[in-house]
Amino acid sequence: MTMQDELASLGNCTLENDGCITCSDAGIPVRVVSIEGDDAICEDAAGNRAEIAVELVAPARMGEVLLTHGGVAIGKIVAETQT
Amino acid sequence: MKYVDEFRNADLARAVSAEISALAEPGRHYKIMEVCGGHTHTIYRHGIKDLLPDQVELVHGPGCPVCVLPMGRVDEGISIAERPEVIFTCFGDMMRVPGSRGNLLEVKAEGADIRMVYSPLDALRIARENPDREVVFYAIGFETTAPSTALTLQRAKKEDIENFTVFCNHVTIVPPVRALLDSPDLRLDAFIGPGHVSTVIGCRPYEFMPADYGKPCVVAGFEPLDLMQSILMLMRQLDEGRCEVENQYGRAVLWEGNLQALKAMSEVFELRPYFEWRGLGFIAQSALKLSASYADFDAELRYSTPGVRVADPKACQCGEVLKGVLKPPECKVFGTACTPERPLGALMVSSEGACAAYYNFGRKSFEKVEIGSRR
Repeated sequence: MTMQDELASLGNCTLENDGCITCSDAGIPVRVVSIEGDDAICEDAAGNRAEIAVELVAPARMGEVLLTHGGVAIGKIVAETQT
Repeated sequence: MKYVDEFRNADLARAVSAEISALAEPGRHYKIMEVCGGHTHTIYRHGIKDLLPDQVELVHGPGCPVCVLPMGRVDEGISIAERPEVIFTCFGDMMRVPGSRGNLLEVKAEGADIRMVYSPLDALRIARENPDREVVFYAIGFETTAPSTALTLQRAKKEDIENFTVFCNHVTIVPPVRALLDSPDLRLDAFIGPGHVSTVIGCRPYEFMPADYGKPCVVAGFEPLDLMQSILMLMRQLDEGRCEVENQYGRAVLWEGNLQALKAMSEVFELRPYFEWRGLGFIAQSALKLSASYADFDAELRYSTPGVRVADPKACQCGEVLKGVLKPPECKVFGTACTPERPLGALMVSSEGACAAYYNFGRKSFEKVEIGSRR
């Protein structure tokens, strides 16, 4: 499984197609590719990149998958098997 | 890019569907509310209703922040946006929500400086780049979005940015659900809990549902199989006579939530004594305002917004739909005077709104026949 397939397996949202941004429940899984201070460059399942604030999930680490909402990471995602 | 993966596996969905059908007792009607607008969108986009037995009815809840915003708050945002010194920033859907005298898009066309942003941090960047202008961010959203606003305000305070304020319309999910449970209009059997709100607040806040009202709740993710599995988990609880809060969305939701996000929110916000919800009226302690230590960033104080109440248009039945009393096609103006192109009510604006979801993905003629035959 490639890294992007693994991201896609966590959910369908991408930075381009995230449902309704206004809605409280649009969340996008992204992978951290670089970190600078309180911000990280993150990549979604489709390969789009964006700068994401990571204070609320500190410490963010390279390669981790974060759930982002409105340019801010609000959680970390852990893969698990569906039953 | 392919998105077909284990969360959309048709064989698995059919297996879950069969198990739900097997658990549904003949002659019993199950009413399950999906609290969150994101779930409503998934249910109609993927035709989940068609995978459920006739006995299981999904009822749409109040979890779309655009949809529950009363018209008075839209009007107050517009009155701030019309000020010549202001650059007004908001999320995209907010631009089309009708106020009593038009929407933000129309005010923008008349010359107001209104800019769509994807993050409150974008609004803060605009403030940095325009020190001679006043930048206002129209903050809306449940607990998923409130941490983003909190973090933005923390950064604004740290950087001592004086030309940035927030018009705060953040709301909280538990009080309206409690209000619905107290409402005599609606008899519900179980709840699908909002997934990303719960990423922030965790699962504990829902414990009142089984404890005080005897209703099970399963916190769910947003893929079609997430929802199917959550409905199955609720059906198992009802079948076995269990009543508890369960977490289907373990990959993104910790039982205790995100403590760092909750800490940021508690520093920046405090609960309002009450707040008006479209369709639900005033609900105590159901919304957030900026705390005293962030008063300098409060647009309500800087621009002295009067707090007006504006009644919805008479033809609009958003309130009944929001409470789950009416299905969208039962509204008098659904699909005729009110469409996504020309929305009368907020539920037709947001893609997470129940009416827009029905309009875009529902089977309108089928729904009308079915609802008519149920009366």
